[in-house]
Amino acid sequence: MAKVEIKVNGVKQSRNVEDRTLLANFLRDELGLTGTHIGCDTSQCGCCTVHVNGRAVKSCSVLAVQVNGADVLTIEGLAKGSKLHPVQQAFSECHGLQCGFCTPGMIMATVGMLKDTPNPSEEEIIHGLEGNLCRCTGYINIVKAVKQSAKMLRGKKPAKAAKKAAPKKKAKAAKKAKKSKKAKKAAKK
Amino acid sequence: MSPFQYTDFPELANVDTHTAHHGNRLEDLRLVTGTGKYTADWNLPGQLYACFVRSDRAHAEIVSVDVSGARQHPGVARVYTGEDALRAGYDKFFVIVNWPGRGGEHMKKPARPSLAVGKVRHVGDAVAMVIADSPVAAQDAAELVTVEYRDLPAVVTVEEAMAEGAPQLHDDAPGNLSFDFEGGSEDAVKAALANAAHVTRARLEITRVAPSPLELRASNVEYDAQADVYHVYTCIQGINMLRKQLSFATDVPEEKIIVHAQDVGGSFGQRSAAYPEHCMQMLAARELGKPVKWVSTRAEGFMTDTHGRANTVTGELALDRDGKFLGLRIDWLADMGAYLSATGSASHTRNPNACMTGVYRIPALYGRFRLIFTNTVPVAAYRGAGRPDIAYVIERLVSQAAAELKLDPAELRRRNFLPPEAFPYKTPTGSTYENADMPAILEKALGLADWKGFPKRRAQSEKQGKLRGIGIATVIENTGAGLFPKDQVAIECGADGTVTAYTVAHSSGQGHETTFAMVIAGALGIPIEKVRVREGIHDKGLIGNHTGGSRSLVGAGSVCKLAAQKLIEQGRSRAAEELDVEPSQVEYSHGAFHTRGSKKHVRLADLAKNGPFATMTEASVGSTFPNGCHIAEVEIDPETGTTRIAAYNTVDDAGNVINHSVVEGQVHGAVMQGAGQIFCEKVVYDQDTGQLMTGSFMDYCMPRAGMLPDIHIVDHPLPSGNNALGAKGVGEAGCTASLPALANAMMDALRPLGIQHLDMPFTPATVWGAIRAARKN
Repeated sequence: MAKVEIKVNGVKQSRNVEDRTLLANFLRDELGLTGTHIGCDTSQCGCCTVHVNGRAVKSCSVLAVQVNGADVLTIEGLAKGSKLHPVQQAFSECHGLQCGFCTPGMIMATVGMLKDTPNPSEEEIIHGLEGNLCRCTGYINIVKAVKQSAKMLRGKKPAKAAKKAAPKKKAKAAKKAKKSKKAKKAAKK
Repeated sequence: MSPFQYTDFPELANVDTHTAHHGNRLEDLRLVTGTGKYTADWNLPGQLYACFVRSDRAHAEIVSVDVSGARQHPGVARVYTGEDALRAGYDKFFVIVNWPGRGGEHMKKPARPSLAVGKVRHVGDAVAMVIADSPVAAQDAAELVTVEYRDLPAVVTVEEAMAEGAPQLHDDAPGNLSFDFEGGSEDAVKAALANAAHVTRARLEITRVAPSPLELRASNVEYDAQADVYHVYTCIQGINMLRKQLSFATDVPEEKIIVHAQDVGGSFGQRSAAYPEHCMQMLAARELGKPVKWVSTRAEGFMTDTHGRANTVTGELALDRDGKFLGLRIDWLADMGAYLSATGSASHTRNPNACMTGVYRIPALYGRFRLIFTNTVPVAAYRGAGRPDIAYVIERLVSQAAAELKLDPAELRRRNFLPPEAFPYKTPTGSTYENADMPAILEKALGLADWKGFPKRRAQSEKQGKLRGIGIATVIENTGAGLFPKDQVAIECGADGTVTAYTVAHSSGQGHETTFAMVIAGALGIPIEKVRVREGIHDKGLIGNHTGGSRSLVGAGSVCKLAAQKLIEQGRSRAAEELDVEPSQVEYSHGAFHTRGSKKHVRLADLAKNGPFATMTEASVGSTFPNGCHIAEVEIDPETGTTRIAAYNTVDDAGNVINHSVVEGQVHGAVMQGAGQIFCEKVVYDQDTGQLMTGSFMDYCMPRAGMLPDIHIVDHPLPSGNNALGAKGVGEAGCTASLPALANAMMDALRPLGIQHLDMPFTPATVWGAIRAARKN
């Protein structure tokens, strides 16, 4: 048995676990965070992807003891209160999920990918999703969701939502305001 | 329940009531926040854990099973073996086929104990079950079980299994033959073939694939001794179908088995069956007085979850001098695996027989279907359940015939289509196709795919040293009518105005909670946020079909509309009393009843003041016949044998479409499963030992992102008259059309090199080898 102390979704957790306990099982069985799914036993499917110290990691491929002292983020901790993370929102808007089983891993992998590559090309998205399997969507809408969330994270509203949100004039005004903010930021740099 | 409320998330509540729905399904919120509940997420107080000891060989006599070491392992509650299964009487599983075959012979349905007795028949066959107080204790103890085997020769292909002197799997199925079934007229086809100007022949492998929904199979079973009731928490396609099968297998009356499920992580036919693990967990839960949980590993999944397809089919298409079809003969060998699944036998006899004429007028049809046992995992329905297989055979024959006769494959199809005026069309094998407009669908698809511009694109590819091909498939399929005679939906309005509908059909990704809610919201004229759809609820006692055979919108979905209408009608009389007028004077709109010219009104919610205002309705909905045309374009690099899907176009008649984004999602997923099967997926067994060679995602090639480009999807809806929505099934259509469309595209690219035949999967190695061999000649 080993004692592990891990900060999960901002809350310090301390447990005594068998040495062989995988992080995925620790999250699911010890903490009841069942949003992290297990879909294989060869680190292929990516359903169990979480973030360890800000990096996307397949939690079936690390022992709980290996992340002792680390900061872990799971799908349950991604939304800020009642505000969904843009990647969560984009997956829903683009119908990038069907049964939803691969979705938490897909979303966590996407958040990780967009940290490294904020404006990915189609090829970079496909490469970035290589470690995650989905059996329902054919990945077509997942790729769309990644593109849309990248846009949202870079501060651009998706076309559909923007149209709904504001009439043209206001939208233009908003754009101007944004531009001026950007300009100010650039000036500061 | 999800800790989140939709009202907390205005961006997800922003959904339209009617047909122009885009994304943002009602079920999405819990699924994107990790608060869904799949089977492995159910934990019951005091639960024990099961681990199964599985055969590591394909065919062997069991000499002895020594469980003494396991029994003494700390934490172990009990170890079960085949004798326990026999003691409980658990030696049989439900099989849909109950009709006679050729010559009036009935199907051979050999016994299948829930744990192997005397013999193991495939790698993965369960020999013992260890129950312990933790998953790891159960797993450690299972490793201490020692099984002594006496090896027997194994057969893993139907040809071997049918050969003289082949090892026999079951004493009561001589020649390893389970069922010999036929459809159509043998003599008529014989005459057609004899009189034909041309006969096109092909022997086609439709490879064995692993459905592999991403949620691992799991179940948690609790026995309530006081009520003498079993609660089975598991991944399903609908509660009733599983309950019926579990009752059959265990002799426990149906009303004593309660099946629970919430979220299901994909199904594709693999969740339709009762499995031995369910039965043994029921036994252990009763005998040990504690819930028993089991979660499969993926490795176990590959060797125990039912596989799909696995057919070897020889087809002969007879044509006259003008390219008119005269007759079609099909000789179908279906690999059933080591035991019969509930659905596999019907999938590979009845379904292909129902659509044997495809979309063509073929005066003479004959199909012979033989179901064969081999030392492999049982085969069951897999997305399309025999329909993609028969479409694959017909459509490859048609395109091959066009190539042999030097005709445009579109033109050969045109000459033989059933014309729109021929519908309703009674096929020579007994189906009645409702409606289809194949000529219009084909022209639309040819335009969408820029069929005329293909030679130019081929020339461009050639310049870059690539081989380009284009393939058509024009298909029709019968959606599942269902095993239960009708579909019931219960509906109720609460005092807060929320309308809740209950169905037996169970989504495993199809988005019923949204689409059915759209149907109800539309019928009631209320916002979709006011509608809830609940599945997997046993206490309503509903009769109905599970989700499968592309039937849920047509069945349960259309009954949702009827239920909403019935709610209005019942509400009208109640409202009339409150408004003190005749019911005929009461009008309904947007959730309220009112009388003309008066401001007085009664809301639906008002009728629920003293408890839910509820009703139930039902309908018997048979098969619909979705149809369509898919055109695929591929580009092969002859130096490596790798293929790129250059374009994919679909024109589908799915009847009236309720939710476009869900329908597109179904097409995407099904076309990808077709592409997976055509280009990479294949379950491989070692020919000599019967060992499973593709036992993990490392060895079994799953399609990954980027395999399929964005699909051009166009609807061509002809509403169906068989249900209140005018809908046709759509879940499987993408598989049915994509297998032949992609294979025809591959053959079109390879034929100029002199390659006349190649079977799926078109892996780089296969394609490269074929190109190399062709160039040597």
